[in-house]
Parts: sequence; structure tokens; C-alpha cells
Amino acid sequence: MTRRRLCLLLVSLALCLAGLSAHAGRRVVIVSSDNTAAYMEATQTLWTELARGGVAPEDILLLSVPQWAADPDPSWQASVYVALGSQAAIALAGGHGSVPVLAALLPRSSFERALHNHALKASSSFTAIYLDHALQRQLALIRLALPQAKTLGVLWGPDSMLKAPALRAQAASAGFSLNEAGLDGKPNLFPDLQQVLNGSDVFFALADPQVFNSNTIQNILLTTFRAQVPMVAFSPAYVRAGALMSLHTTPEQVGRQAAALVQAALRGKPLPAQPQEANDFEVSVNTHVAKALNLTLDGKVLRLDLRQMERLP
Amino acid sequence: MTRTLLSLTLIACTGAASAQTVVALSEKDYFDDMPVVLSVSRLPQPLDETPGAVTVLDRDFIRRSGARDVADLLRLVPGFQSSSSFYTGAPLASYHGAFDSYSNRMQVLVDGRSVYSPYFIGSVGPGLQTVALEDIERIEIMRGSNSAAYGARALLGVVNILTRHTSQTLGAQGSITAGQNGVRDAQARLGWGNEEATYRLTLDQRSDDGLAGSNGNNQVKRFNFRSDFFTSVGDEVQLRLGNYAIDSGKGFTGNIDNPPHNTTFESNYIQADWHRSLSPDEDLAASWSHAQERYDDSFPYSLLNLPSRTQQALARLLGRSVNSNDIFMVSGTGKASSDTLSLQHTFRAGVTTRVVWGGEFRSEKVSSEALYATDANFRTDFLRLFGNLEWRAAPTVVVNAGAMAEESSVTGGELSPRLMANWHLAPGHTLRAGSSKSYRPPSTYEKFANVRFVWNGILLGVNTLARGNLEPEGVVTNELGYLGELPQWGVSVDVRAYREKISGYIRQKNATLPRSYANDEDFAIQGWEYQLKWRPWTGAQFILNQAYTDIGTESTVSQNGTAFAAPKRSSTLVYFQQFPNGLDVTLSHQDNGTAVLAGDGYDSRQAFTRTDLRLGWPLRWGAHAGEVAVTVQNLGQPYADFDQKFAFNRRAFVTLRLDH
Repeated sequence: MTRRRLCLLLVSLALCLAGLSAHAGRRVVIVSSDNTAAYMEATQTLWTELARGGVAPEDILLLSVPQWAADPDPSWQASVYVALGSQAAIALAGGHGSVPVLAALLPRSSFERALHNHALKASSSFTAIYLDHALQRQLALIRLALPQAKTLGVLWGPDSMLKAPALRAQAASAGFSLNEAGLDGKPNLFPDLQQVLNGSDVFFALADPQVFNSNTIQNILLTTFRAQVPMVAFSPAYVRAGALMSLHTTPEQVGRQAAALVQAALRGKPLPAQPQEANDFEVSVNTHVAKALNLTLDGKVLRLDLRQMERLP
Repeated sequence: MTRTLLSLTLIACTGAASAQTVVALSEKDYFDDMPVVLSVSRLPQPLDETPGAVTVLDRDFIRRSGARDVADLLRLVPGFQSSSSFYTGAPLASYHGAFDSYSNRMQVLVDGRSVYSPYFIGSVGPGLQTVALEDIERIEIMRGSNSAAYGARALLGVVNILTRHTSQTLGAQGSITAGQNGVRDAQARLGWGNEEATYRLTLDQRSDDGLAGSNGNNQVKRFNFRSDFFTSVGDEVQLRLGNYAIDSGKGFTGNIDNPPHNTTFESNYIQADWHRSLSPDEDLAASWSHAQERYDDSFPYSLLNLPSRTQQALARLLGRSVNSNDIFMVSGTGKASSDTLSLQHTFRAGVTTRVVWGGEFRSEKVSSEALYATDANFRTDFLRLFGNLEWRAAPTVVVNAGAMAEESSVTGGELSPRLMANWHLAPGHTLRAGSSKSYRPPSTYEKFANVRFVWNGILLGVNTLARGNLEPEGVVTNELGYLGELPQWGVSVDVRAYREKISGYIRQKNATLPRSYANDEDFAIQGWEYQLKWRPWTGAQFILNQAYTDIGTESTVSQNGTAFAAPKRSSTLVYFQQFPNGLDVTLSHQDNGTAVLAGDGYDSRQAFTRTDLRLGWPLRWGAHAGEVAVTVQNLGQPYADFDQKFAFNRRAFVTLRLDH
């Protein structure tokens, strides 16, 4: 067992014990959709950062969604709820009293679905930190890494299609043209993929489970590689699988950003009424794929350049 | 075969109908693991780091060349010669020498499966006909010995034909070609499937009247099925099966020893491949294939045609004189099969080293009463172990060290090592130098041929009797190469200078009957060749190939055709031009120096030129596309091909292709 896993296990154990002994007077309640690695890493960072910011460990409570649903009792006396993941956000959207909710570790469309299900609007009492990055940032990365690229190939699915109008506008202002295809209810996506790869300099993948999943990824990556079109993806798993690079936020970065907002809320500052973009990110590069495509890229340098462009600290 | 295909089709349709679970986007899409796809063996070495000279013919080149088969395409590769004659089963192609009527000193792979013919002395001619041109993604031609990676048959080079992935050929597509010289080709393809599995079935036929002066009527009929399956844990499974039959005419009018008659060569194969990525740095692959081939070639020979002295001797044995009912069937009929199982493990050992190693078992069986005077199977088993270490010794130096150990159940063991270094002098400039040693064990025919004419228990004559003491022939290759990529001028250059020292050359001894095979003289093939590609203006590309090939100098060599098995000088120039209105023009010219014809003797030495023109117009209506093209082959004078009596006349044909 790695040291990191052991650490996670201990934190997990500590959180469970805290949960068991939880009663009145708790101030931060974390409701997590799952206990797999990404959620645990976000929780661990959130916990550590809050503790470092002076929140007493006994004032941080971790619940699973079923635990919270079984007893959404105001006796938690939460000052702030942090909903990690889509399920937690949907559950808390259903009833969180007057306690403000910060949803994190979820993409924008999941948050909007949670709002829509309960006829809510984003406000300082129900807000989010999005996991997916602004299109502007993603386009800037492509421009930095592949300055020769002119045409972006995009394969739309039912979820990602919602971003189509925004991408069309922003790609045009960033100097890219788009080569688009959608599912259109077709039984398979490969004719569309062929169409998109024809004449595209970059295959720009936007998360959509009907387009990008473990069943489709082999065919997609082999096809894009055969066409010598680099794929820019949205998670490091795709880079490991064979995409050229990805722009993504790690669970630790999510935890850190959430902790900062929660601490401000505990000090009396309302949560931001507008959902927040991630304020930090990583750029992963598959150096073997880059070499095979005759490219030399460094993820760390790209990240720093991108942060500098955005004047991030 | 038909039943297997039907059941596969049923599986395919069932797979396609499986329901999809609709899930909404969530954070899991950002954090879930994905199977590794582009693992180490799927990321090929760039051309300037491969341990040898490689020419790649891509799909666009193939289409625009106007060629109707792979052998004809290979004319356009430096150092290659090809024929369009079907006289020995199928058109031949050879590298650095068409030494005889069968080309058996190079390897041909179709999707990794070795397709040389165990029946036809290891000839690659029939194997080059395995798939329809429309199904080929690209052809990688490794110019130079490559036994360290591809085994015994890769003595002088390797032609690696890769078919298109089935996900790229979904939908329907068809083409027809018709024109002079009886050219009638037709092809139909259907591709279907979903993200978990895709399938392709292609049927095609290629036919023409052959070379003027030959007993033409050549027809190739093929079907090929390929399926690709993906599992969510990262396995890729491929299944292929197919069949082709080549009907061709042989013989000459008025030649009683070889009258006009028809021959048929038929081949079936099935192949299964499995690939698993263990990590980005490690993967495993396994492959199994079975192939069988059958050749029918016979004609009646009246014993009244025997010399009178032989007839008198026969009459004494029979107690009567020979009459017109005494017919002997001259035959070359027989069959062969092969089974191959291979395993390959590829991994990166640190940042500078990549290793591939594995093993292969191959079993070949040949049987022919006509060729071996027995109906028993001649079985040869090969066990091969191979490995290659690619080591980046310095940021600008890549060293490839590899070897293959091969054990043949008939001729014993041989080791084929190779060492090659590529040095990137400057961006876009690479020098390559290296040495290798390879062997080719004799084929079953060369080792065991026993062609005797027996009629009613009476031995009329012995045509060929192998002595059986043949040893593998070997080649030691030393080469220097240069690769230049100058994108600012639209130029790329590939130069190879080499010396290929052949030892124990296996030659047919045919001065007197019975013929036999023996390890003959040692000699060297040396020379240089280059390919220059230039894109001078929009839509244009010139490809210039030139080769200087010098085969041996010993007097024993020059008395037969061996010294002229390849032209000393040969050039091809191809000009591609695409105009803004879509018109696609290809003009190619081949200038071949003096060489013997592959199917003829020393006296057939001659030079020839050939010029081809192709005009193509793209068709498009809605989402559908296609092309109509006119091709004229050999605009100039007829030239002799394969045999002095066979001529390649000018021929024009029209091709219509539709994609749905």
C-alpha cells in the first residue's frame, strides 16, 4: 500500500469517527457523493486547509449522501454545506434550509441540472466551483501548445452540445475555425469522427459520456492517431490512454479552492453568488504521443504560461 | 468457410443491436480511469529512427497511381522491379533482382500475416493479391534485409501491407473499371458496427486479357472480412478471414510440351489477433493464423509426341505400338497449408530504452503427387525467437540492436543479427549505418522436388530431382543511409548505399534433365538508390526514384542471367497535380535499364520505358462522394514483360468509384 493510500485511509477513518460522534455545534458539513479516490483527495485537502485556517477538527463533519438524506436534521447546525460531486449537489438542492451550499467537484452541467431539478437559481446560498474549465482557457492552451493549429475538430454529444454556441463564438474570436459533427441520433459516432478529423488540426474533446467513455476511447484514440491529429482532452486519464494533453483541475486543487471560500463564509462573507471557475489547474502531456506527432511540449511550462496570461498568482 | 462467415455476420448483427445505457455527464467523466490505448508498441518509430530504409505508399498514392494491384505499385519504389504476368500464378515483384520466375527472397505481410506461398517455392506473387487495393491503408516497404525482425523470408526486403481499420470503412462503397485489353474490375464493400465492434466485408474481382502473346484470361476473385472488437478494459481483438482465387492462362499455341491451358491458384486464410496494453510502457500481443492454398495446373500430353526412340522402348514394354489414346496428364497440381502462432512483448526500460521480444511457431505442410512423387505431406516447422533493443544512446543517436534465432525442422538453426545506428546530424538530417546477417532456408520444392512423369506404372522421364543437400543461403548486408527533411523547400530525400553479400545462392541447375537445386556461387549486390520528394507549388508533388544496382562480377555469374537480374540503372518519376477545380492528374515515367526478364533466360536481356497517365475527377452529391478516372498505361511502345514473347501494350481504362 502506498503512503498516500495509507494517509487517505487514516483520514477516511478519522472522518467516519467524526461522523459517528457528530452532534450539535458543527459548522462545516461536507456531503460527499462517493468515497473513491478523487472525493477522498478533495475531502482530505479541504479538511487540512480548514484545519490550517483555524477550524477545529470537531467542527468539520463528513457525511455520505445516504447519511445526509437519512437525517437531514437541522441539528447539524451547519454554517456551510460543501457538496462534493453531482449526487451531493442534487441532494442538497432538494433542501438545505437557510444554510448556504457550496457545490464542488462537479461539472457545470451537473450543477445546472441540480438547480433545474429544484427550480433554483445560482446565488450565494447555492453556488458552485466548476470542475470544467472556461472555453477561453482551453482555447488559450491550444494556441500556446499548437500555435500552427487553425481548425478544431469537435464531436458533440447531447451534454457537450450545450456548449456549442459559446464555443463557436469564442473559437472565432480566438482565431480558430471549427469542424463540427454531432451525434444526430446516429447509431455510432465513427462516421462523424472521420468527418471531424478530415481537415482538423486538433481534435478538441469536450466531456460527454455518450461520446467519450471506456468503450469508445480505444477506437477514438486509434483513429485520431492514425489521422495524425492530436487530441486535447479533459482529464489525465485520457492523456495516459493516449491523448496528447489535457487541461484539468485535480481534486486537491478543488479542495483548496473550496476551503478558501468556506473559510471566508465562516468569517461572515457570503459565498459568491456567481459560480466560480477553477482558479488552478494542471496541464498533462503524453510525451511519447507528442514525440510520435513530432511535437515537444512541457506541461509545467504550459501551465505557468497559461497562469501568467490569466494573471493568476 | 461460407458457414463461418455467416455465423460471424450473425454475431456482428447481434453486437450492433446491443442497447446503450444513457448516462448524464458528471464528475466521473473527469476522474474515471481509461484503458491505455496508445501504449508503447502502438507508437511507431519515426522514419528517421527506424533501423533501415522505409518507403511508405499511402492510400492517396495508391489511388492516384492508377495501379490495379500491389505488384504494379511496387514499380514505383526504388530498387524494385515488377511484372504484370500471371504466368507463375500471379504478378511478381522483387527487390534487387528478379532472379527467377518466382520471387522468394523477400517477405510480404498483410496485417502482420506472412503471405508467401509455401507451395510456390516461397513466391510472394500470389500473396501480393490477398486484398483489394481499396482496403489498403498503406504499404510500408522496408528496403534491405530485415530477418532480425521478420524471419527467414525477409532476405532482401519486406513489403508490409496494412489494411484500413474497419471503423474507417463504415457504409457502402463500390467501384467498377472497364477498358481495353479486357480490363473488367469490380469491387463492393460494406462496413458496419458500433463503438464496441466494427466489421467490413469486401468482394472484388480483377480481370483482363493479360499480356499480348500470353494465354491471358487472368482473373482474381476475392473476398475479405475483417472485424475489430474493443473491450472496456483495453483489449483489442481482430478477426480476419478471406479467400482469393486466381484463374490464369498458361502455355503457347503450337507448343506440344506446354499447350494453352488454364490454371487456378486458390488461397483461404483465417487470422485472429489480440492486443493488450498493460500500461503506457508495456503491452502484449498474440496472433494466430491458418492459411491453405491449392494449385490446379494440368494438361494432356499425347505419348505420340515422345521421341520415336522412346516410343519404341514403350512399345516393347506395352507389347503394342503407342496410339492416340495414350495420354499422360502433365501436372503441377498440389496444396499447402501453414499455421502460425506468435507472441510479442514490448516495453520501455527507462527513458532511453525500448525492447520488443517474442516468439513464433510456424508449421508449413506441402503435398503434391505431381511435384514430390508422393501424396505425403512435407512438413517444416519453424521456431523463432526474436528481440530488438532500441537505445537512445545520446539525444541525437538511436541504436537498434536485434536478432532472430530460427530453428527449422528441416535445415536446423540460424541466427540473424542486426546492428543499426541513426544519428540526427541536425534537425531534418539523419545518417544511418549498420550491418545485418540473414538466411533463407530452402523451400520444400528446392529441397525435396521429385518431378517424374509416370504413366501406367512406367517411368517416362524425370524432370526435376532435388539433391536434398541444400543449405540455407545467406546474405550479409552493410549499408549507409541518409534521410533529409527540408520542409521549408517542400523536399524530402531518402538515400541508401549498400553491399549485400550473398553466400550459397540457391540456383536451379537446369542445363540437363533432371533439374536440381544447389548452393551455388557467392556474389555481392551493391549499389545505391534514392527517393526525392518535392512539393514545388500548391497541389503538386514530384517523386523521383533512381537506383544503381550492380549484381556480382564473377564470370560464372555473368554466363547466366543472374548478373542481369536487376537493371544496373533504373529510374521512375511521378508527377501528381491537383488543380483547384478538383481535377487530379498523375503522370509517371519508368526508365528501366537492361535486365533479363524474370521468366526468360540470358538472351532476354533488354531495357524498356513505360509512361502512364491518369486523370481523375471527384464526384460529390450531398453527403456522397466518388471519383471517375481515366488511366492510360504505357503510352509509348509495347515492351516485353516476363517473357520475350509477352508484350505490355498500351491500355486505357475508366474507373468509377462511389462512396455511400
